[in-house]
Amino acid sequence: MITLPRVPRLASVAVLIACTITACTRAGGCRDEYCGTLVFAGVGEVTALLPPVSDASVDRDVYDQIFLRLADLTPDGGTIGDSGFVPQLAQRWEWTDPLTLVFHLDPRARWQDGPPVTAEDVAFTFAAYTDTAVNSADRGALLAHIASVTAQDSLTAVFHFRDRYPEMFYDAVFHMRILPAHLLRTVPLATWRTAEFGRAPVGAGPYRFVRWTPGQSLELAADSGFYLGRPHLRRLIWRFASDLNVAITQVVAGEVDAIEVLLSPTNIERARNSGHLTLYSYPGPTYSFLRFNLRASGDSLRPHPIFADRDVRRALVLATDRARMCQSVFAGNAKVPPGPIPQSWSWLWVPQLSVPAYDTAQAARLLAARGWRDSDGDGVRDRGGRKLSFHLSVPSTSPPRVQYAQLLQEALKAVGVEVVIDQMEPATLQERLRAGGFDAALETWFADPSPTSAAPGIWGSHGASNFGHYASPAFDRQVAAAASATTPDAARTSWIAAFGTIDQDAPGIMLFSVDNIAAVDSRVTDVQIRPDSWWALVRTWRIPPDKLNERDRVGG
Amino acid sequence: MTAWLLRRLAAGIAIVFAVVTLTFVAVHLAPGDPFLPADGRPMDPAAVARLRAAYGLDRPLIEQYGRYLVALGRGELGQSFSRRRPVAAAIGSALPNTVVLAGAALLIDFACGIAIGVFQAARVRRRSDVALTNLTLFFYSLPTFWLGLVLLLVFSQWLHWLPVGGAIDPVLHDALPLGGRLLDRLRHLVLPALTLGLVGAGGTARFQRAALLEALGQDYVRTARAKGLAERTVLVRHALRDALLPVISLLGLALPFLLTGAVLVETVFAWPGLGKLAADAILARDYPLVLGTVLLASLAVVAGSLVADLLTVAADPRIRLSG
Repeated sequence: MITLPRVPRLASVAVLIACTITACTRAGGCRDEYCGTLVFAGVGEVTALLPPVSDASVDRDVYDQIFLRLADLTPDGGTIGDSGFVPQLAQRWEWTDPLTLVFHLDPRARWQDGPPVTAEDVAFTFAAYTDTAVNSADRGALLAHIASVTAQDSLTAVFHFRDRYPEMFYDAVFHMRILPAHLLRTVPLATWRTAEFGRAPVGAGPYRFVRWTPGQSLELAADSGFYLGRPHLRRLIWRFASDLNVAITQVVAGEVDAIEVLLSPTNIERARNSGHLTLYSYPGPTYSFLRFNLRASGDSLRPHPIFADRDVRRALVLATDRARMCQSVFAGNAKVPPGPIPQSWSWLWVPQLSVPAYDTAQAARLLAARGWRDSDGDGVRDRGGRKLSFHLSVPSTSPPRVQYAQLLQEALKAVGVEVVIDQMEPATLQERLRAGGFDAALETWFADPSPTSAAPGIWGSHGASNFGHYASPAFDRQVAAAASATTPDAARTSWIAAFGTIDQDAPGIMLFSVDNIAAVDSRVTDVQIRPDSWWALVRTWRIPPDKLNERDRVGG
Repeated sequence: MTAWLLRRLAAGIAIVFAVVTLTFVAVHLAPGDPFLPADGRPMDPAAVARLRAAYGLDRPLIEQYGRYLVALGRGELGQSFSRRRPVAAAIGSALPNTVVLAGAALLIDFACGIAIGVFQAARVRRRSDVALTNLTLFFYSLPTFWLGLVLLLVFSQWLHWLPVGGAIDPVLHDALPLGGRLLDRLRHLVLPALTLGLVGAGGTARFQRAALLEALGQDYVRTARAKGLAERTVLVRHALRDALLPVISLLGLALPFLLTGAVLVETVFAWPGLGKLAADAILARDYPLVLGTVLLASLAVVAGSLVADLLTVAADPRIRLSG
């Protein structure tokens, strides 16, 4: 029997232990174009991966990779007509008459469990999205104009519309991700919110579901046989964090490869200084504003004692130096919108709509003309014994909006208006808004690619989210004209008129629309980001073989 | 003993029942709706009403409470609104992570706290005692989330020694051998456990020092010294054994501290435990999940207090469970 000398034997044991503990990953052999692993920051947690019943924005980020639409928007595509769309599950489409749209499905499209995608799936999907038992948020948009969807044959789906309007194609394709009827038909519609399918979905997209560890991460793997082209990145992983700051710290530390929005100048600076991240700017789909409640707080039958007066609202708009505030809070990474218009609606950022000039003298004159004067010399205007003072509700979780609230407080104080800031958590603010229990609130809206669904809901007389009770027959008429315009130019003209009406009536102060800035690890190339759906084009991103790291090669 | 145990159990059940009832009322009366999108997206009021009806939220509060108690009696905690799965399953996947974190933190808390306390008592009023008194007071006064952020900044972001958050590395973990997976878990555990444990250790050390100083003034210690025993033997064999008794009772009190501290620490470190689950549930107005986590936490605190009492009795034969 051979006995090792004592020291070498100890050393070999130590080496063995070290190897066991710190051993590198099992060597992956992947070295080619299709090896990358990309880790995304997921702020929040996925709720369900069944599109009609999914709520969170991180849900959409994930299911964008698993489920496809019939056709999808191009990054700079318009929503009028079909010229801004590219085929996805549908290979081509045609109008057989003005109210009938026929989609011819791509025969190569298959569900990840094998069967082909059929027109039956399309008809089933429409039926599900519009069923009250499923309770999809897109139900209203689909049923507003589409009468039915039928399967003419296995590869031909037919959409029947009730009326003719410019965004028929957009409505037909944008709101629905096609679902596998063969897997979901047996699942009762009323149970879809909690269905097991939503925790382990099967789609027809470029990535298939692998695993979801609640509270931690979710993993997808590329479908190498994807009919529109094999995705270059082999694995996609979402790593969940409750908080944006935690997520950004993970990105800066190199543990996460991509985050869709950095938001604050501090975060942008941290990412820029990390040395391993590339920043991508893209038009933001949000706009933020101060909304006036035109009815008394808590009593929607009475006019608001201050904000029912259009001249007072206009005076407050004039007293707000929005350009300076925007620069102060975002250091050049946001713009003042010329109306309730996010940057993603770039075709509406036109000279005809311009931000009213900052003019405190004119603001003071307007207020004085309406009887608001500082009669007791305390620095706050008053009229008939009532001070020109109001409460401004702001979500405490949004640092930019909290900063804006403070800046507005200072700015309006200069013209004799007292602002009392009420910070509250978002759920509380939402309830107050819906109940009308507020004077003014700082809100942010995430807008769809089309103003047709977004604008009337927030500012229209009957809008479900018109919490300030702004009512303008002129605005409603102009929106209706825009929605029924038959050409993009005519629609644009009507939208400009509608938003011009908003500027005149001042139901709010439009404050900022951020330039979204995403951070992606520099080893990733061909990065394209779509404003309405950040990671929708990930299947075309790549990591060149010479830039692959150990994490990319693991398990290959 | 049996009568005492039964009385304690009855009191524990009453406490848990009161906590659950108060929480039920508080979460339902708090502003906010679980089915309204927090980002203000338009939502058809009819759709919200259908969802509320589906989960029974359209019923009077007293009826909802009755239904909750009946379900609880059957061992059902309900369905989480935000996680879309049974509350028991959501808690089941988070609980092991919190147990691991709390266990590690408790170990750091008591190991460091007792060691420092004993060291200080043995060198009372010397420079090292004064320095450690200030240091432990410093740690005891620190907010856990602040300490967590500082540790993150130093050890993760500046030095890159330890990971920023999570319980494992989702990219590499499955590809590692057994030892590597264990190390991966340990690396992720270090900072959150240190954050929770060090703050607790500050308090434990001060408590241990005071208890040991009191014990060192007792007659039996003087007797031991008079017999010529070595100072180390007097300290460890005689005084410390007595001085550990009050520290053991701290075990039960440490549990609520660990559970409340875990809410902040788990959020800062994205640690997928019960604290983060509870915080997310509160923000999402996920009533069943809030109630489930509160129920579990109150059960743990009551059980911890009971265990601490039993440990004290086991350690000190002078104490009898009668009154």
